[in-house]
Amino acid sequence: MNLGNCHNFYDFRELAKRKLPSPIFHYIDGAADDEITYKRNTSAFDDVDLVPNVLRGVENIDLSTTIFGKKIDLPLYCAPTALQRLFHYDGERAVGKAAQKFNTMFGVSALSTVSVEEIASLIDTPKMFQFYFHKDRGLNDAVMERVKAAKFDVMALTVDTITGGNRERDLRTGFTSPPKLTLSSLFSFAVKPMWGINYLTKGKFELPHLQDHVSEGTSTAVSIGNYFSNMLDQSMNWKDAEKLCSQWGGHFALKGVMSVEDAKRALDIGCTGIMVSNHGGRQLDGSRSPFDQLAAIVDAVGDKMDVICEGGIQRGTHVLKALSLGAKACSGGRLYLYALAGAGQAGVERALNQYRAEIERDMKLMGCTKISDLNRNNLRFRKK
Amino acid sequence: MNLKDCHNFEDFKKLAKKKLPSPIFHYIDGGSDDEVTLNRNTEAFNDYDLIPNVLNDVSNIDMSTTVLGEKIDFPLFPSATAMHRLYHHEGERASARAVEKMGTIFGTSTMGTVSIEEIGQINKGPKSFQLYIHKDRGLTDNLLERCKKAGFTSLCLTVDTVVAGNRERDRRTGFTTPPKLTLANIIHMTEKGSSIDKSVIDYINEQFDPAMNWKDAEYCVKKWNGPFALKGVMSVEDAKKAIDIGCTAVIVSNHGGRQLDGSRAPFDQLAEIVDAVGDKIEVILDGGVRRGTHVLKALSLGAKACSFGKGYLFALAAGGQKGVEKILANMKTEINRDMKLMGCRTLKELNRSKIIHRRN
Ligand SMILES: Cc1cc2nc3c(=O)[nH]c(=O)nc-3n(C[C@H](O)[C@H](O)[C@H](O)COP(=O)(O)O)c2cc1C
Ligand SMILES: Cc1cc2nc3c(=O)[nH]c(=O)nc-3n(C[C@H](O)[C@H](O)[C@H](O)COP(=O)(O)O)c2cc1C
Repeated sequence: MNLGNCHNFYDFRELAKRKLPSPIFHYIDGAADDEITYKRNTSAFDDVDLVPNVLRGVENIDLSTTIFGKKIDLPLYCAPTALQRLFHYDGERAVGKAAQKFNTMFGVSALSTVSVEEIASLIDTPKMFQFYFHKDRGLNDAVMERVKAAKFDVMALTVDTITGGNRERDLRTGFTSPPKLTLSSLFSFAVKPMWGINYLTKGKFELPHLQDHVSEGTSTAVSIGNYFSNMLDQSMNWKDAEKLCSQWGGHFALKGVMSVEDAKRALDIGCTGIMVSNHGGRQLDGSRSPFDQLAAIVDAVGDKMDVICEGGIQRGTHVLKALSLGAKACSGGRLYLYALAGAGQAGVERALNQYRAEIERDMKLMGCTKISDLNRNNLRFRKK
Repeated sequence: MNLKDCHNFEDFKKLAKKKLPSPIFHYIDGGSDDEVTLNRNTEAFNDYDLIPNVLNDVSNIDMSTTVLGEKIDFPLFPSATAMHRLYHHEGERASARAVEKMGTIFGTSTMGTVSIEEIGQINKGPKSFQLYIHKDRGLTDNLLERCKKAGFTSLCLTVDTVVAGNRERDRRTGFTTPPKLTLANIIHMTEKGSSIDKSVIDYINEQFDPAMNWKDAEYCVKKWNGPFALKGVMSVEDAKKAIDIGCTAVIVSNHGGRQLDGSRAPFDQLAEIVDAVGDKIEVILDGGVRRGTHVLKALSLGAKACSFGKGYLFALAAGGQKGVEKILANMKTEINRDMKLMGCRTLKELNRSKIIHRRN
């Protein structure tokens, strides 16, 4: 199996599974507890049907949309995800350059393995930085200043990781970052030698946004759950978010809002957008899926801020359904991470290209030529 | 595989299966008829979604609550279950110690294999005795008096077991309790003695009194004169009657799917019962609980606390006292983490605004 055989989400997932040491694959692929929310994030789309219109003249399709004041050419973007150089040695460089080719938003995680300065020098298309609120206020201020100086377009504060989710696959595989070679994990690393060679030879593994602020440095192995539970500030509240929002002074989003009440408060504190998200099912299992909750949130705040539907997206039609309900755009993690692991920049480009082709084809089949043609008349919820 | 690999219900179950003779494993694991209700008990939770709130300062979480007159550290306790010495040689001694350590209520069954008196010695925390009314009514008075003396804090009368359910796995495996095992609480009290080298089904059908009615229950409430729960109530009508006869709590339960197959899951029925009686009596959800989020969902609908059976029995089989401690610690950790992710600092903050039925 190689990149040429990858035609959809599941193909890329299969390729990634073959290339990655199993603890790393399961870190990407896994979710919290029984992974019920993770599965629902995608299956929720199946409870609603698209109703096409015909004979509309669909030779030219415009897929562009404007989010956070930036025009992007695809209503789907790369959500910020951690540790990308663990998945492919080019990491964020690969994803950023691929996103630039499609002129879509590139989300950079607080736990990214390439610095914001380097990313800013590599790509000039829209960029979002994802912020984690640490106990160490000096670290928070320093990150904020660096991202400002690197002229990122959007700041997104993640609010759904106040403590680490119960990722049982990671407990079983003993996943840490950077990977710690224990006897039990040695085998899974040994059977994927290329990954190991690249990991050891293509530059030291670090978290450039944190390394100066963590006494042990960021090259020692800690589990992601421990990072959330020990470094992030569990007392974070609306006042803190409001302060960060004004400190940033530009487009500011909360990532991981699920209740209507919180969406309204986000508006009150000056946010210009929210990501309706449960962190890809990786945090609170049994919580609602973004698509199930989307309509209620759009009804409450959709005309006043950008509502992004994030998580579970595996097909162009999923994007169309979310946009029909009133999302401004969609974003996803695994939809490009498997491709990154499978083939670096070329992989992410192929994945984004497929999503663009699907969305364009599906728009035509729906009889829509621009994003604003999509609305709730195109949808029917199946009665159960 | 050993105890340190047990992260969840399924893991404990796997380990228990390795350790137990198969008839005993299936006695714990099985339900009645086609096990439709057994499976639904857990699946029911998946039809509801939690909706978290964010940015709510969750650095301090209080999971404590007061049930059946006792303050407990977290809103979950082990249900009373029969014959712990079948699952681990230390039996109720192991589970009673573990539960005391973890700061919640220990329930012991009329069909326990360690005596009321000994449990009173071992476990100084909140304790509930689960009563089955036998045809021999003298037995009831005797048991209640002994429980008072031994320091039990509440009584729980099980009302869903007037006849034994159709546990087909037990028929296939030929499950009988080993001849040496004695039911320590009713030793010398029943005609044939308490060594039940027969199937549990035969025992229930021969000894339990199918004529049991509301008057009998009321008699027990008065006689006990302390916190009292009726276990196995499923209808709103019966929950209301439980108030009338002076109960402190109803335990919404179908006996873990071991009695009437095709009957409703406790979680499916919970909202209706809470709406009718939740302000007058403590409503406890029992059955199907496998995860911290299940407890959060039940509390969001209005339950005071939850109880669970198979989870800690598999843990007991898997690792004795240490096993039971571990599963309770796991559940406590999950509830704590899930409260934080929900943005809730106290159990009171869990209410209907935090939960939504999928179809709505
Ligand atoms: C491997 C992985 C790492 C992630 N790292 C982060 C992160 O560092 N910060 C963050 O806010 N979200 C992170 N997320 C969540 C994503 O931003 C996004 O919410 C999620 O992937 C959406 O679900 P999907 O994977 O089904 O598209 C991560 C997700 C994955 C799969
Ligand atoms: C092996 C076993 C023995 C049980 N024995 C009793 C008992 O003696 N008295 C009683 O009231 N309930 C008994 N139950 C029912 C439990 O108290 C409880 O209602 C049930 O296990 C809850 O469902 P769960 O196993 O899904 O948590 C027993 C359950 C099991 C699995």
